[in-house]
Amino acid sequence: MKKSTARLTRAVVVGMGFTLAAVSAAWAHHSFAMFDSDHQIKVSGKVTGFQWANPHVYIEMDGKNVKDDTAQAQHYTVECASPGILTRIGWKFNMVKSGDEITVIIAPLRTGEPGGLLKQITLPDGRKFLNGGPAGKPNIE
Amino acid sequence: MKKLTRHKSALAAATPALAVMFGLLASAAAFAADAPAAPAADVKAPGSGTKPAAKLPNPRSAMTGQWNRYPEIDEKPLPGFPPAAPIPPPPLKAEHKAAWEAHRKTLADAEAAGKPIFSNYTACLPDGMPAMMMGMFPMEVLQTPGQVTIIQEAYNQVRRIYMGEKLPAFDEAEPLFWGHSSGKWEGDTLVVETIGVKEDVKFRDAPHSNQMRIVERIRLLSPTMMEDQVTVTDPVYLEGPWQWRWMYKRMPGYKMLEYVCESNREYRDETGAARMRLGK
Repeated sequence: MKKSTARLTRAVVVGMGFTLAAVSAAWAHHSFAMFDSDHQIKVSGKVTGFQWANPHVYIEMDGKNVKDDTAQAQHYTVECASPGILTRIGWKFNMVKSGDEITVIIAPLRTGEPGGLLKQITLPDGRKFLNGGPAGKPNIE
Repeated sequence: MKKLTRHKSALAAATPALAVMFGLLASAAAFAADAPAAPAADVKAPGSGTKPAAKLPNPRSAMTGQWNRYPEIDEKPLPGFPPAAPIPPPPLKAEHKAAWEAHRKTLADAEAAGKPIFSNYTACLPDGMPAMMMGMFPMEVLQTPGQVTIIQEAYNQVRRIYMGEKLPAFDEAEPLFWGHSSGKWEGDTLVVETIGVKEDVKFRDAPHSNQMRIVERIRLLSPTMMEDQVTVTDPVYLEGPWQWRWMYKRMPGYKMLEYVCESNREYRDETGAARMRLGK
């Protein structure tokens, strides 16, 4: 096989692999479609609750959209992955506590309600954690 | 422009081979509707694409352990272990195909509108068979005398495969989430036959009857890699066998986690969409 064809074949196989992952995520999961990943926001504030349970871990916080000077503080509900997915990327059940000052990047609910899907969390000590493969990475800083 | 031509000829070369392969799959023998205990050896398994390593540990005990789906999301495939091909659509009979495609389109449209339709997952219901073998989360295989028990961490699903067990007739098999499974060894391959999956427990929304039979050929490809070649037949709904492969990579030392679906915040609103309940 010519080198160029071999390279192309590898590219096609890799491309199929990535497509497979995207399709698998769509099939295998409850949907993320209710969240707007194209318009992520950054919220800073104080944790009022941390629920470590299946099927999803939730962070409750009172916070403000840091990039919007006119934004009011409000209560946000942040959906995280399952305890299993989070454990496998380094989270611990007691990593977030009520009273902690945190910053989150979230894909907000399309309904406009104050909630969203976690993309990244910054803890009080500065450590950052993502939310597992299926949720995807943040696209803002 | 030259590169495009070469690309086209590579695909053109591959097409006849693909056509032959699909032809073989379509013509595989269908099972008699009243003989669920018949051996499954006559079903052609899909090509593996990977030759097993020359020296394998004894699979009769070495399948025991914890396994993750392969490749995991964002995982780079290992050399020598190309990922399995994407699962093809179910080969539904013509009279059922249109309804399935319309349903898939409804789901896709709802997703695109940001209002996904409520699903079994959001009701905290488990996948059942065969979906539990896709490896959403880690999977534990426990081989004990006369039985293989497989636990899927997601929704804490448990299936039990009884070795050499005679399966009931289709109409006598109580409909279950994970069906009734009988296993036997063919050389180094664990061949499992499953019937009696509930009709509302579907994989990829494909309708099925109580005559659906799932045959799996499970084998180690290396000390740390395993595959499950799945063949689904259903003389009522499918034109021919529906076949695909799942692959797994061993997770040494992994301790399976609990999964109790106790905190379901999703609910179905008046339009049928899945919504998230906000907290305080």
